[in-house]
Amino acid sequence: MTAVATKPPSSSSGTAIPPRRPSSAPMRFIKSPRFARAMFLPAVLVFWLISNKLIENSWDFDSSVLATPREVWDFMWAEVTRDTVAPKDLYETFGISLYRLGIGFSISMILGTTIGLGMGLSRAVNAFFHDWVMALLAMPALAWALFLSLIFGFDNKGPIIAVVLAGIPFVIVNVREGVRSTPRDLFDMSNAFGVPSNKRTRHVLLPSLYPFLFASARYALSIGWKGLVIIELFGGQDGAGWTVKFWYDAHRLHGVIGYSMFFVIFALVMENAILEPISRRVFRWRPSLNSPDIVEEEMDALYDVEELNRELDANLPTGSTQET
Amino acid sequence: MIAVVTTMTTEVPAPDRVTQEDIEEAARRKELIIRWISRISGYVVVLGLWEWASGAVLEENLLPGPTRVLQTAVELFQDGKVFPAFGASLSRILLGVFLSFIIGSMIGIITQNRWFSGFFKDAITIGLTSPGLIWVLITALVFGNRWFGPILAIILTTFALVSVNVAEGIGSLPKDTLDMARAFKVNLVDRNRHIVIPHLAPYLFTGLRFSFSIGWKVTVLTEIFTASSGIGFELRIAQILFRQDEVLTWILLFFVFALFLEKVVLQAIEDRFFRWRKEIAST
Amino acid sequence: MAEIKIRNLHKEFGTGADKVVALEDVNLDMGGHVFVSIVGPSGCGKSTLLNILSGIETPTSGSLEITQSGHKAAPGYVFQAARLLPWRTVMDNLLFVQQDKSDETRARCQKYLEMVQLGDKGDKFPGELSGGMQQRVGIARAFSIEPDVLFMDEPFSHLDAITARSLRRELHTMWADTGKTIIFVTHDVGEAVELSNRILVFAQGGRLEDDITVDLDFPRDAADEEVAIAKASVLRKFEEFDLLAT
Repeated sequence: MTAVATKPPSSSSGTAIPPRRPSSAPMRFIKSPRFARAMFLPAVLVFWLISNKLIENSWDFDSSVLATPREVWDFMWAEVTRDTVAPKDLYETFGISLYRLGIGFSISMILGTTIGLGMGLSRAVNAFFHDWVMALLAMPALAWALFLSLIFGFDNKGPIIAVVLAGIPFVIVNVREGVRSTPRDLFDMSNAFGVPSNKRTRHVLLPSLYPFLFASARYALSIGWKGLVIIELFGGQDGAGWTVKFWYDAHRLHGVIGYSMFFVIFALVMENAILEPISRRVFRWRPSLNSPDIVEEEMDALYDVEELNRELDANLPTGSTQET
Repeated sequence: MIAVVTTMTTEVPAPDRVTQEDIEEAARRKELIIRWISRISGYVVVLGLWEWASGAVLEENLLPGPTRVLQTAVELFQDGKVFPAFGASLSRILLGVFLSFIIGSMIGIITQNRWFSGFFKDAITIGLTSPGLIWVLITALVFGNRWFGPILAIILTTFALVSVNVAEGIGSLPKDTLDMARAFKVNLVDRNRHIVIPHLAPYLFTGLRFSFSIGWKVTVLTEIFTASSGIGFELRIAQILFRQDEVLTWILLFFVFALFLEKVVLQAIEDRFFRWRKEIAST
Repeated sequence: MAEIKIRNLHKEFGTGADKVVALEDVNLDMGGHVFVSIVGPSGCGKSTLLNILSGIETPTSGSLEITQSGHKAAPGYVFQAARLLPWRTVMDNLLFVQQDKSDETRARCQKYLEMVQLGDKGDKFPGELSGGMQQRVGIARAFSIEPDVLFMDEPFSHLDAITARSLRRELHTMWADTGKTIIFVTHDVGEAVELSNRILVFAQGGRLEDDITVDLDFPRDAADEEVAIAKASVLRKFEEFDLLAT
C-alpha cells in the first residue's frame, strides 16, 4: 500500500541533485499534487455547506431555495431510477435532445464541409462567404435561441436549425484550414512518381483532412449542444434545456444543479466513450499523440525532433536524464 | 526501339522588363477586383435572401428583413433606450471581467505551486468547460435580482481562462534571458520591469480578451433571467411582447457593439503594444 | 538504361526586380550505368535542375529529353526529407506509387524493403521509425518501381554522419546491382567523390562550371589516398570558380 511512499529518495542517478530533506511518508503523501486534487471535491462540499449557512443567516431567504449536496444527490438518483415529477423522465428527455443534436450535427458537417472545401480551394468563394462565416462564428447561441424560438415555437425545426447555425462556422473554418495546409511536399512526391489523381485524393488529400474534420466534429458537437440547450430552454416544450427550465421555474435549485451535473456527465461520456476511441483509431499512425489537436506541424519537423532526441540519447551518458 | 518518351520544348522570349511589371500589376488588380466582386455579391446574396425570406417564406412579423431591422434600430435610438441599456450591461461586464481577471490571475500564480496546481486542476477544467447557462441559472435562483448574482456568474465562467493564460505565461518565462540578467547583476526591479512584465503582458491581455468575449454573452443571459435593466432585460421584454423585430434588433446591435469592442478596440490595443510578439499563446 | 539530353535549359523565378535566374543555358548529356553527382553551393540551381528533370517544375525555356529504351517507366525520386505518407504503413507507402497491387508487386516491394534491411518493418507506420529508417523506406520506394533513372535530392543531408555513411554504402551496392542511372544532388563534395563516376559542378546563377570524371575503383573509402586526392582536386575547382566565398 505504501510502496511508492517507502521508496528511498532517488539519489541513485549520478548527477548532482541536492539531497532532499528527509520527510515522513504520510507528510509526503499529503504534499503530493494527487492528494491535493483529491482534496478539491471535499473542499467544494465544505465550502458549499458553509456558504449555504452564511446566505441563510445574512438574508431572509426562503431557505428551501437553497440546496444541499445531499438533496442534489437524491434528486439525481431519483432521476436515474425514473422517479420524477417532471413530465418526461431523464432518458426520454436526453433522447429527444440527442435526436435533435444528431440531425443538426449531420447537416452542419455536410454543409460545412462543402462550403469549407469551396473556400479553401477558391479565393472567390472564400471572399463570398468570409465575412458571414466570421459573423456567424462570433454570434452567440443565445441570439439564435431567442430569435428562432419565436419563429418556430415548439417545433423540432427551431432546435435543429440552432444546432446547425451554432456548429457550421466551426466546421467551415476548420475544413478551410485543412485544405489550405495540405501537405504540398507529399503532392509533389505523388506527382514525381506519377500517381493518378484519384489515388492521390484517397491516400494524400483525405487523410490529411481527417484531423481537421475530426476537430470540426468535436467543436460542432459541443457548441451545437450548448446552442440546443439554450433554445430548448427558451422555446421548447421538452428536451434537456426545457427540463432545466422546468426545475428553475419550480424554484428547485437541487433540480437545476442536478440536471447540470447530468450535462457534465453527458459531455464526459461523449468525450471518453465515443470521440476519444474514434480519435485513437483514426490517428493511430501518430506516434504518442492521443491529443485531439489539429496537426499543424510539418511532418519533417516532427522527424527532426525525433532525430535530435536520438542523437541526444546517444551522446548522453546512460542513466542521466535532462530534468530541470 | 522507339526512344523518345518525354520531350518538353518551351520557347518563351525573354520579356521586356516594363511590360512584365505591367502584367503583374494588372494581375494583382484583377485578383483584387475578383475578390471584391465576390465579397460584395456575398453581401448582396445574403441580405437579399434575408429580405426576400421575410414575407415570402415567413411572415414579416416572425422574420423581419434587414430594412425593417434598420428601421427599428433607428427608432430604438430615437427613443433613447439604447444607451442606458448598453451602459447597464457594460458596467456589469466590466465589473465581472475585472474581478474575474484578479481572481483568475491569483489562481494562475498560486498554481505555480505543485500542490495548488493539483488542487485547482479540476476547478479549472470545470471552469473552462461548463456552459455559462448553468451558472446563470444557479446564481439567478440563489441571489434573485441582487446585483452580484450576474457578476458571480461572469466570474465563474471566465476565471479559468485567465488562470490558464497566466499560468502559461509564467511557465514560459524566458529562463535564459533571466539567467543572463542575473549573471549581469541586473537588480530585481529592473528584471521584473524589462523581462517579466513585458513577457507576461500579452498572456494577461489574451486572457482578458477571451474573458470579455465570453463575459458579454453570460451577462446578457443573466439579464434575461434576473435584471431589470440592460440589453438582456430589453430582450426579454421584447420577447414577452412578441416584438420579433425588436428582439432581432437588440441582438444585432449588441452583437455589433461587442464585436467592435473585441475585434477593433481590444485588438488594436493588443497590436499596438505587442507588435514585437507575432504570435500570442492562447489556449 | 536512360539517356538524358538537355539543351539550352533556362529557368527563372519571379519577375521584374525580384527575378532570380536559377539555371542559365545548361547543356548536358548523361546516360548509361552512371552515377552522376551534381554539386555546388546552395542556391546554384542544382535542386531546380532535378525538379525539372523529374517533372515537378517546368523550364522557362530550352528542351529536355529523357529517353528510355525498352519499357516505359516513371523516374524514381528520393527526396531530402523522406516524404512518406505518415498515415500509411511502410508497405502501403511503397504500394502507393505502384501501378497495381498484385502479389507480384507486393513481392517486389518486399524485396526492396529487404534490400534496405527493413524487411520486417512493412506494417509499421513511418512515425514509428527513426529518421534513417524513414530515408531507407524512401530509397526502397524509389527502387521499387524499377525506374530507369533515379533522381536523388540530398537524400542523406538530414541524417547523422554514421547513418549517412552506411546508407551511402547500401545505395552504392544497389546501384551496382541494379544498373540504374542515378542523378544525385549534394552539397557534400566528399559524398560526391565517394559515390559517383561523374561530377557536375554548378555555380551561383545556375551555370554549369565543370564536368569532372572520377575514374577510380569502387568501393571507395574516404581514407584512401586516391579518393582524398580526387576530393581535394574537386575542392580546388571550387576555389578556382570562387564558389567557396558564398
